[in-house]
Amino acid sequence: MDYFLHILIFIGLYIILSLSLNIAAGYAGLITIAHAGFYGVGAYTAALLSLKIGTPFVFNLIVAMLMAAVIAFLISIPSLRLYDDYFVIATFGFQMIIFTLLNNWMSLTHGPSGLPGISRPKIFGLEFSSNLSYVVLVGIIALGTFLFLNRMVSSSFGRVLRAIREDEIFAQSMGKNVWRYKVLAFIISASFAGLAGGLYAHYMTFIDPTSFTILESILLISMVIIGGAGTMSGAVVGAALLIILPEILRFIGLPNSIAANIRQMLYGGLLVFFMLYRPQGLMGVPLSSKR
Amino acid sequence: MYTAFVFGRINLPISIFIAILGAGFAGCLIELGIYRPLRRCAATPLTFLLASMGIYIVLQNGISLIFGDDMKSVRGGVVYEGIEMLGARITPVQLTSIVVTALLFTTCILFLSYTRLGKEIRAVANNPDLAQIVGINVDRVYLVTFFLGSVLAGIAAILISFDTDITPMMGFYALLMGVVAVIVGGTSSLPGALLGGMLIGITQSISSWKIGSQWQDAIVFLVLIAFLIFRPFGFFGIKIKKAGV
Repeated sequence: MDYFLHILIFIGLYIILSLSLNIAAGYAGLITIAHAGFYGVGAYTAALLSLKIGTPFVFNLIVAMLMAAVIAFLISIPSLRLYDDYFVIATFGFQMIIFTLLNNWMSLTHGPSGLPGISRPKIFGLEFSSNLSYVVLVGIIALGTFLFLNRMVSSSFGRVLRAIREDEIFAQSMGKNVWRYKVLAFIISASFAGLAGGLYAHYMTFIDPTSFTILESILLISMVIIGGAGTMSGAVVGAALLIILPEILRFIGLPNSIAANIRQMLYGGLLVFFMLYRPQGLMGVPLSSKR
Repeated sequence: MYTAFVFGRINLPISIFIAILGAGFAGCLIELGIYRPLRRCAATPLTFLLASMGIYIVLQNGISLIFGDDMKSVRGGVVYEGIEMLGARITPVQLTSIVVTALLFTTCILFLSYTRLGKEIRAVANNPDLAQIVGINVDRVYLVTFFLGSVLAGIAAILISFDTDITPMMGFYALLMGVVAVIVGGTSSLPGALLGGMLIGITQSISSWKIGSQWQDAIVFLVLIAFLIFRPFGFFGIKIKKAGV
């Protein structure tokens, strides 16, 4: 039973991550490979606050979001001057830099040995120590994220983002400050990744840098693309699918030593398959056709 | 595209020759099976980038599955003492690498500048549609390019495997550094690639000497980002609006 709750919690976390990445990658057309970096920033911020100062859970989450947002802002200043593949490669670079920092800043992050002993959250006296209660908590936050972001993309803000994705020069000629909208989309996207990071840290009670590598970023972008970039339902479906699918492998009875490789191959294979036969993803409308 | 780096690993049991050819053919298969169909449906460069990431993940894990995740070594048991040269110590293997690199570099330049095929490759790079109109078989050029690129990657992989131990994961590092070197040097410029590669190597060495080896990757990527911002076309790159990776 605990196993299923664990899967449910992860689905919830990844739904928050792919929904938020979808804002940047799907709606604004900013394919970023740094999302796991922001996820890690959020996780480490929450973990360090809880371990060193002992601040309450809700406060940690908010600071994790703010921290991810600030770093996203700093990254966006140079990156958003670039387009398409160059933008992807720049975010690639920042992902590597964030990972290197988490892995080597020994005095702060304890490097590869990670941070153990993060407490399970307590909100107004309610303790979320059992997995069942954490499922409820993650579920509520994921639903809140969905509603908030859904509201955002169907507002005029979301329409401008889509206009920028389809034709940036046109959006500019309509008097929209394209740069500002892009930065905002990037920051909002990153801050929800920070939120997911905080939730992850308080759930696992132990974090280390290997959870926030570039492969994690590629997994997240696969979720968005396979589900359907630029659709809310796509992000949810993509996240759930890519979490559940590898778990099925477990039941076929593959030995653990090769299961990890097979799981990665599945992600990679699916990504190639979708690029070939359904580039708009499961729930998707075709991506920008300009070029 | 650079995924074929990882293929050089196959050289464990079989000869170097088969490894290089294997890398070349793997490159061809990927071009025929995946990139060509993608081009047919007019995919964007981003689609290619994502597809190539997928291919990389599949290949790397496939190699892990077949050969195992652990380190392997093709070096003999004997460790040679380096030769003293200009105050630095250099092993015979490293010396071979330098010579082979210089030879390959010259061959590439001559090939791209003077042979018919080389000129065709540059024409396709510049403008595939126009190349098609003047009668160049664009698909064949892509295929040949993939074969040659993968062969070069295979050679590099073999040189590395004689110098250090190899793991399935090392391809990723080579890929990243390769991309960085190409961008820093300037896409579609061979002298640029050489200079970019040297700059990356020197940056790595200096930063690990002065700051600490654990920060060398971060420094390399800072250099990359600085280049992307201030000189996105690299040292010798021509001003092109967009370039494929």
